[in-house]
Amino acid sequence: MNDELTRRHFLRQTGSGLGAVALAWLLNEESAAGTPPVAGRPVPSEYAPKPPHFAPKVKRVIQIFCMGGVSHLDTFDYKPELIRGDGKELAGKGNIETFFGQPGRLMKSPFAFKQRGKSGLWVSDLLPHLAEQADEMTFLYGMTSKSSNHTPAAFFMNTGFTQNGYPCLGSWLSYGLGTENQDLPAFVVLPDPRGVPAGGAINWQSGFLPASHQGTAFRPSGDPIPDLFPPQEVQSAKRQAGMKFLDRSNRDFMNANPGDSALAARIRAYELAARMQSSIPSVVDFSKESEATRHLYGMDNPETAGFGKNCLLARRLVERGVRFVQLYHGGAFGAPRINWDAHEDIVENHTHQAASMDQPVAGLLRDLKQRGLLDDTLLLWTTEFGRTPMTQGLGAKGRDHHPHAFTCWMAGAGLKPGFGHGSSDEVGYYATEGRSEVFDLHATVLHLLGLDHKRLTFYHNGIQRRLTDVHGEVIQPILA
Amino acid sequence: MNRGRVLLGAAAMMAANWAGAQTVGPALPSMAKVAAVISRCVSCHGDKTPSGGLRLTGRAAALKGGVSGAAFVAGMPDQSLLIRRVTAGQMPPGGPLKSSEIETLRQWIASGAEWSASFAPKPNRAGLDWWSLQKPVRVPPPKPKHGLLVRNPIDAFVLAELEQHHLSLSPPADRATLLRRVSYDLTGMPPTPNELDVFLRDKSPSAYEKTVDRLLASPRYGEHWGRHWLDVVRFAESEGFERDSIRDHAWRYRDYVICSLNADKPYAQFVREQIAGDAFVPASQDGIAATGFLVAGPWDQVGNLVASGSILRKQVREEELEEMTGTVGQTFLGMTVNCARCHDHKFDPIPQRDYYRLKAALEGVKAGDRPLLNATDNLAHEKLISQLRSDINGREVEIEKIQQTGAERAGAEPQSGAPSTVPLPIAKWTFETDANDSIGGLHGKLFGAATIAHGRLQLDGRGAYLQTDPLPRALHEKTLEAWVCLPDRAQRGGAVISIETPQGAMFDAIVFGERETGKWIAGSEFFHRSRDLEEPVEKSPPQSLVHIAAVYARDNTIRFYRNGVPYGKAYLPTGDTPELATFPAGGAHLLFGLRHTGSGNGLLTGEIEEARLYDRALGAEEVSASYRAGFSHISPEKLLAALTAEERGRLEMLRKERDALHDRLAHEEPAPLSYAVNSFQPGPSFLLVRGDVQQQGETVTAGGLTCIRSEPSDFALPANAPEAQRRLRLADWIASPENPLTARVMVNRIWHYHFGRGLVATPNDFGFNGERPTHPALLDWLATEFQRQSGRWKPLHRLILLSNTYCQSSRFDAQAAAIDADDRLLWRFAPRRLEAEAVRDAMLSVSGQLNPLMGGPSFRPFTVVHNNSFFYTPTDSPDPEFNRRTVYRINVNSAKSPLLEALDCPDPSTRTPRRTVTTTPLQALELMNSSFVLRQARCFAERVRAEAGASPAAQCVRAYRLAFGRLPTAAETERASAFVRQSGLPDLCWALLNSSEFLYVR
Repeated sequence: MNDELTRRHFLRQTGSGLGAVALAWLLNEESAAGTPPVAGRPVPSEYAPKPPHFAPKVKRVIQIFCMGGVSHLDTFDYKPELIRGDGKELAGKGNIETFFGQPGRLMKSPFAFKQRGKSGLWVSDLLPHLAEQADEMTFLYGMTSKSSNHTPAAFFMNTGFTQNGYPCLGSWLSYGLGTENQDLPAFVVLPDPRGVPAGGAINWQSGFLPASHQGTAFRPSGDPIPDLFPPQEVQSAKRQAGMKFLDRSNRDFMNANPGDSALAARIRAYELAARMQSSIPSVVDFSKESEATRHLYGMDNPETAGFGKNCLLARRLVERGVRFVQLYHGGAFGAPRINWDAHEDIVENHTHQAASMDQPVAGLLRDLKQRGLLDDTLLLWTTEFGRTPMTQGLGAKGRDHHPHAFTCWMAGAGLKPGFGHGSSDEVGYYATEGRSEVFDLHATVLHLLGLDHKRLTFYHNGIQRRLTDVHGEVIQPILA
Repeated sequence: MNRGRVLLGAAAMMAANWAGAQTVGPALPSMAKVAAVISRCVSCHGDKTPSGGLRLTGRAAALKGGVSGAAFVAGMPDQSLLIRRVTAGQMPPGGPLKSSEIETLRQWIASGAEWSASFAPKPNRAGLDWWSLQKPVRVPPPKPKHGLLVRNPIDAFVLAELEQHHLSLSPPADRATLLRRVSYDLTGMPPTPNELDVFLRDKSPSAYEKTVDRLLASPRYGEHWGRHWLDVVRFAESEGFERDSIRDHAWRYRDYVICSLNADKPYAQFVREQIAGDAFVPASQDGIAATGFLVAGPWDQVGNLVASGSILRKQVREEELEEMTGTVGQTFLGMTVNCARCHDHKFDPIPQRDYYRLKAALEGVKAGDRPLLNATDNLAHEKLISQLRSDINGREVEIEKIQQTGAERAGAEPQSGAPSTVPLPIAKWTFETDANDSIGGLHGKLFGAATIAHGRLQLDGRGAYLQTDPLPRALHEKTLEAWVCLPDRAQRGGAVISIETPQGAMFDAIVFGERETGKWIAGSEFFHRSRDLEEPVEKSPPQSLVHIAAVYARDNTIRFYRNGVPYGKAYLPTGDTPELATFPAGGAHLLFGLRHTGSGNGLLTGEIEEARLYDRALGAEEVSASYRAGFSHISPEKLLAALTAEERGRLEMLRKERDALHDRLAHEEPAPLSYAVNSFQPGPSFLLVRGDVQQQGETVTAGGLTCIRSEPSDFALPANAPEAQRRLRLADWIASPENPLTARVMVNRIWHYHFGRGLVATPNDFGFNGERPTHPALLDWLATEFQRQSGRWKPLHRLILLSNTYCQSSRFDAQAAAIDADDRLLWRFAPRRLEAEAVRDAMLSVSGQLNPLMGGPSFRPFTVVHNNSFFYTPTDSPDPEFNRRTVYRINVNSAKSPLLEALDCPDPSTRTPRRTVTTTPLQALELMNSSFVLRQARCFAERVRAEAGASPAAQCVRAYRLAFGRLPTAAETERASAFVRQSGLPDLCWALLNSSEFLYVR
């Protein structure tokens, strides 16, 4: 977000402008009439908070999705055997099929690994800031995916299906739990400031769930969402009069047509819209954040500033009760690479990607912790798959896509901190012990939110659909 | 729902009478409560596998008991085994009963333990006797008590059901409301004030009927109902997934649907065309476009690029087929056959084998653009095109000869090789002054920081490249050639020349340092036709020019040359698609400086002196001669000056002729294309164990669902049956009047859109998990009536719209609502919000801005950025093209409109038999602030001013009539006029477009 621009815009809207006007109108109307009840039925709200199935450990989630496929072998999954096997042929793994079909020799990680903190968990030097936080993190070393193709694998991580058209985790949460703050969307997406991921909004779609549950993507500059405000030429006094006239007409129509709760919901929606005109600019207004906070998120460094802002914004959103905030780190697959898809050169690519992700995410984790937010917020760090222990092509320096083993981590209430679960084999090719599918990850996230993944269902074309399809086990060993 | 309760109540009453005949008895518990407990026992102590030998299937069986003895002693709870076991917590196994439940059982046994049918466990799946699998039975309409309310048989069925629940129809809606309702319902557009006047003035009894007929005849009907159909068939005009490329020709299917509905095509034909229209003999344009149905779903473009034998690729194909098979099953049959891919259907009688039989019928379907012409017409067309191309080629050869003559005269001393052996390229880029092709029409466009300077194409390796126009004709064998200067020898993966299909799906390229630093390679997609060549790294001085050529021969051999001599050994590629690549006319172009579109590291740093393309494989001597002859270094002006006047005239004439031929070609060439089925002959089909592509089971031949017994489901086709036969048989099987589902499912869809809820509320699911019909006899009656009318939609619409059920008012009745809150029994017309498209269309209509142009390519209200994937940013434009009806807006998966989306426009890739309706703050913001709505409000105001004059009161009257289809009340006029005087007419129009009354139909 361009701080200056947004702030100026916000002041224009609130000081003498429309935000204030809409709000004034709203407050007047609310005190005079309140939200009208209809024929004894409550006014329905799409996002009204709904009770979970059982007592939750966390109330909201921030997900960092690193697009392109982060190499587990160069970040969190330490493989001494790969150092010994460097340059040798991979053996004993059965029929090898890689995405680009040109498996090379084993390649040790070019990054040094160290044991970190009290937990002694291994993190490579690629991620020095996150390494300091290892004691807060809960690792899943035995993750697997169903596809070695980026977008199906990303769909799988988001929706539990490798196909187009299924609701993503955030949509399920919006549908299942509603949100605590009606003045903000329930599910906010913050694309990488360098560019949205391949497929764009397909990634945060609601599929067959009502469209109201899809992610609302905040734009990196200008107003965060389209049409939050009318164009500048619309005069605020006139808009206020218009809102009053409209409200009166809608109330007349509602009164003439009792029994239709949607008509009351429409009136309510305009009230909430007016509130959003102040709540959204205020959540993206960082003017009250201290220098120390900005520094923590790396906002004073050009390399980390963009993603750092998104991380800080994520904290501000969950602070205000947004249910699910999803941050993408990484954009399209074009040239030059702006994601983790290190086919050509793992050092060049991952060094570059880590530089903009490491400090902001570590800063976010630290900030959530110091503000007590981690007591009821889950931070989830994922990627769509890992990367091959072999190079892509002989004598090359990059790694290909690898769905058979990769690493994700979480942090937050209800989890064992500084804990690792599951493992991949000696070279990180197959997940072995504690193998976790994406379904299990989803079941666990829902469990932490107080939802039974088998009971969170939506009927669609013959099936009571679930985020976890017909699979999923809560990963008990990582629960505190 | 209520019927169940009534039945239980009756049973309880009977039991109570019986109990009353006893002398003294404890209070009889509610049989429903007893049933709730006993039915749990029956799940284990049932007929099939009675646990402990105990069958709780009836009173006698329970008294006979199992190995431990009788279940109970009637009247004596304390002596009863059942009570002892549940009290001790031994039963049921899932956990002890609540004490209240045990007490219920005690009372029941104490009162005599009478048995009830309701104790039987609820069935948990449908069998072959499932209601929807039986042929519809036409029963005569019932005779309700209030016969005067019956206008046609629909009313008789509806009213009879209402009367059962002591309800009735509401009084008729007022005429203005009815006109607005039926106009939106049939056309998705509001009535005009003139239509309103005519209707209100017409006092004849047939006024409404005439209106219905007028609306059914309107072309707007097909646009509106076509949109409904497009929801069901998940019509998308982009691929979805990673790239989300646009399907330029998918709109032909949309036009096919609209035209078919306007023409009131019989449903059987509509069905057959969509499944197999391309296989009819002869195939019509309609038939070909219709098959767009099968391939309208999402398609994983990247997944289709990976190696064809790989597991991943097989999985991708299997997912495509599931998507297609599932859509056929749900759209036409209301059966979720896709649930039987991995195992027998859990809820409906669809064995796994049946899924694979349906799939086998579709196994040869592939998606793609194809000519909309049948084979004969296509052949003639191709002949004409190839003649034109050959004429152009003749001119170009002659042009080049004259130019070479000029070049030689202008001082380019012939090099040691005799010029006659120097081969003639079909395209040549000298980069003397521009990026044009000096021979053919393959002119280049510069991207990034690419420039032409010092007679060379300058490439910075950071985004600079050149892309040419599309190839005018297909290229098979070929030679790529260039002189290039590469100061940076450590660079990796950049290409000098590449020829590729769009988005680099297929390419052949001269690549530097990709797999090995400093070495040349013939690059190709996924290295399918590439091989590392044994040569030393490039060691020539960094500023020198290197001549490089890649030759692709018809026999598939690839030869590489550097400075006129072979570079590495000639080889036959052995990769996944090793055969000679064909780059199609209009579907391929050349790149200089970029390996392929979207490559992560394919940019070249360096300078290209000259590049040439040949449409044949040059021999070693020709390559050598070309190298020795060198590149051109004569400016076009010098060259012309060296020609005689006669030669110049000839050259000019040849060029003119060539250009004219090019124009003709451009006009003739694009044979109309449609995104539709491109079939191929598949091998035999197999059942896949657990749906896993690696676990082939038995061979399966094409067939229908065995649960439908009114017609043979075996198509009697062998495993190697021709592709067309499979789909034709499937189409006939579905469209057959003997199929019990086809007509029922379709009439239910029509009912759903008229009333906002189907007689079956789950229009894609007539199976066990779907809803049961609220009016089964009516559904059957309508299905048979539909068949009697040859499956035409319009008579059915007419029947429904002329019923009193449809014409009743939407007024709310608290008493009726207490009995039937959801209006399932139709005691009123349920008000509803307009669909997203209708909202937008209505705004355009009211503002007078609607562009009524029908059909043709979709409008694209966004800007596009291509960076490997396509990224779309919505735009808003007042251009008339963008004021067409919303059904003509292109349906791109990742390019949704914020306004339409906020109004619940569904995801294009999702089969949507019924839309959800939500009300959200984001929706309010869109309606309040979107530039589209604000502009329509201004245009609306201008229109009102023009039509009503300057008086605010007259303006208000006009505006209300346009927006709401009614006159304002005196109070409304007064309030609105005051508002207009204060805020201006555009603000009133804005408020009207935002108002609930505008968005809702009553």
